[in-house]
Amino acid sequence: MHRSETAVSVELQTPDMTLNIGPQHPSTHGVLRLIAKVDGERVREVEPVIGYMHRGYEKISEVRTYAQITALVNRIDWVSGFANEVPFILGVEKLMGIEAPERAQWIRLILSELARISSHLVFMSSYPLELGATTPLMHTLREREHILELIEDVTGGRFHPNFNRVGGVKPNYGGGSTTKKQSMDLPAGFFERTAAAMDRMESICDDLDLLVTGNEFIKMRTVGVGVIPGDKAIEYGLSGPNLRASGVAYDLRKADSYLTYDQVDFDVVTRPDGDCYDRYVVRQDEIRESVKIIRQAIDKIPSGPLQAKVPRILKAPKGQVYTRAENPKGEFGYYIVSEGGKMPYRLKIRSTSFSNLTILPWVLQDQLVPDLVAILGSLDFVLGDVDR
Amino acid sequence: MTDTPATTDADNVDEAPDALTEYAAGFAERYDAEGFTVEFDTIRVFVDRSRWVETIVAAREELPFFSWLSAIDWSATTEVGEGVDDPDTLEERFEVLCRLSSVENADAVNFVTTIPKDDAVIDSLAPHIGGAAWHEREAHEMFGIGFTGNDNLAPLYLPDDFIGNPLLKSFPLIAREVKPWPGDVDVEPMPAKEEADEGGES
Repeated sequence: MHRSETAVSVELQTPDMTLNIGPQHPSTHGVLRLIAKVDGERVREVEPVIGYMHRGYEKISEVRTYAQITALVNRIDWVSGFANEVPFILGVEKLMGIEAPERAQWIRLILSELARISSHLVFMSSYPLELGATTPLMHTLREREHILELIEDVTGGRFHPNFNRVGGVKPNYGGGSTTKKQSMDLPAGFFERTAAAMDRMESICDDLDLLVTGNEFIKMRTVGVGVIPGDKAIEYGLSGPNLRASGVAYDLRKADSYLTYDQVDFDVVTRPDGDCYDRYVVRQDEIRESVKIIRQAIDKIPSGPLQAKVPRILKAPKGQVYTRAENPKGEFGYYIVSEGGKMPYRLKIRSTSFSNLTILPWVLQDQLVPDLVAILGSLDFVLGDVDR
Repeated sequence: MTDTPATTDADNVDEAPDALTEYAAGFAERYDAEGFTVEFDTIRVFVDRSRWVETIVAAREELPFFSWLSAIDWSATTEVGEGVDDPDTLEERFEVLCRLSSVENADAVNFVTTIPKDDAVIDSLAPHIGGAAWHEREAHEMFGIGFTGNDNLAPLYLPDDFIGNPLLKSFPLIAREVKPWPGDVDVEPMPAKEEADEGGES
C-alpha cells in the first residue's frame, strides 16, 4: 500500500483501490465515513457518508413549543451551544414582535463570543493533533476550560447553556421564590474574571504563534494544501472562517448586524490563499478579535433588566421568517414557518457544518492520501451539526 | 436588506420594511417573477417551476452565495404537530425554497416555487450550483421530491432500506405514538384567565 508514486506509474495500470475511512476515526470529530477510491497515493474520488447521528431535529420541532425548542437547538453544534440558540431566539422574537432589553442583548453578545473562542480552541487543539503535533492540545484545552467555566458561571451549563428566553435571558439561577421579584443579574465578579481570561487568551495566542503558526512542519503539511478558491467556496455555501480564509470578507456580524455588534469595533479577518494553513490562521486571529469585542462589551454593557415583558403563553402569528447569525463555524440560520400556534409548522435548520461539508467531494478530488486528513480537519465541522 | 440592525427599535420598524419592499419589488421585476412577499424582514420571491433553474442561476450574478435549499409540505391532514388554520381551503402542495444571499451586504432572497404532490418533480440545481447537490438529496429523502438532473439522490441521513419520507406531515412520529411525551403537560391549554395577553414573567 505504501508504494511510492513512481511505482504506480502509468505503465503499470494498477486498479483503483477503495479505501474506507471511518465511521470511527480519530480525525472525524464524530461519526463520518469516507469511501475513497485511491490510485496509489492519489485520491480519485471521495464519497462521504453521513447521517450516523441524525436525530431528526426538524421533525421533533414540529411537536415542541418555541420555548422547548431553545433547549433542543443548543445540542446541534455542541461545541458552541450558546451560539446556536441566538439565531433561533432572534427569529422567534421577530415573529412575536418582542425585543429583548439592551443588557440582555449585550450578555448574548458576550456569551456568543465566548462560545466562539471555545469553539475555535477546540479546533486549534484537535487540528495540530491530526497533523501530529500533540503539545498545542494541552495548552488550548486548558484555556478552553477557563472559558467554559465562565459560561457555566452565568448559565449553569458548560456545553448546553439553554440560557436564552424569548424576550431576554434567564435570570440568575438559584433565585428561589423569595427573590423572584428582585432583579437578578450576572454572578458577582463575572466581568473581572472575564477580563482576566481575555488577557490570558491573548498570551496563549502568542504562545500558539510560536508553537503552531510559525512551525516549519505544520507549514509543510498545510501551506498550499486543499486550496479552495473564493468563488468555489461561495458556490458550495461555505461560510465563516472557511470562507474568509478564501479571501471573501463576509461576516454576518458586519454584513447583517444583529444583537449589538454594530456598536463594537472589530475587524473581519481574511486570508488570501484558501489553503489549510489559512483556515487555521483565520481562526486564531478571530480569537484575538473576539477578545477585542468582549473587552468593549464589558465597558459598554448598560445596567437594566434581563427580560422583557412577554405573554404567558407564547404564540407566534402566522408568517415565515429566516434569521441567521455568525456562528463560530459560519452562517447558522433557522427558517421558521408559523401557522399561528404555539409550535412551528415547519422549522428548517440551516446548519453550518452541513453546508461546509458539501464541498468535500470537490476539494478531496486528486489530493494525496496523507493530505486527506489535513484537509478534512481544516474544515472544522462537528458531526452533530452536519446530521442534525 | 437595510442598514438597520435585526433588532430594530419600535420607532423605525416602519421604515425598515419600506426599503426592503422596494428592493424585493425591484428584484421580482428584474427576474420576471410571479410575485413576492416581505414579512418579518424575510423576502420571498415566487417563481414558476418551469423557470426555477433559469431564474436562480441568473440571480447568482448579484446574489452569489448559495445558502440552502429545502421544502415545506402543506398538508390538510397532519399526523404531527399543529395543523394549518383552515385545512378545508388549503391547497395540497409542496413549496420548494432556495436561498441566495450577497457576500458583501445583507441582501438575500428566498426563492419559492410550488409543485403539486401528484407530480413532485423539479429540475435540479446541482449541475449549476455544486452546493445544491446534498440539499436536494436531503429534500428527496425527507419529502420524496424528485430532482431531474441530480444523478445522486441516494439517502443522505437514513438507512438505505428506510421506507417513508419523515418530514411529510402524514408521517407519524412513532416515538410519540408509542409513549406520550411526558412534557406534554406544558403544551396543554392554560386556565382561561391567563390566556389573555397580559404581561407576566415566564
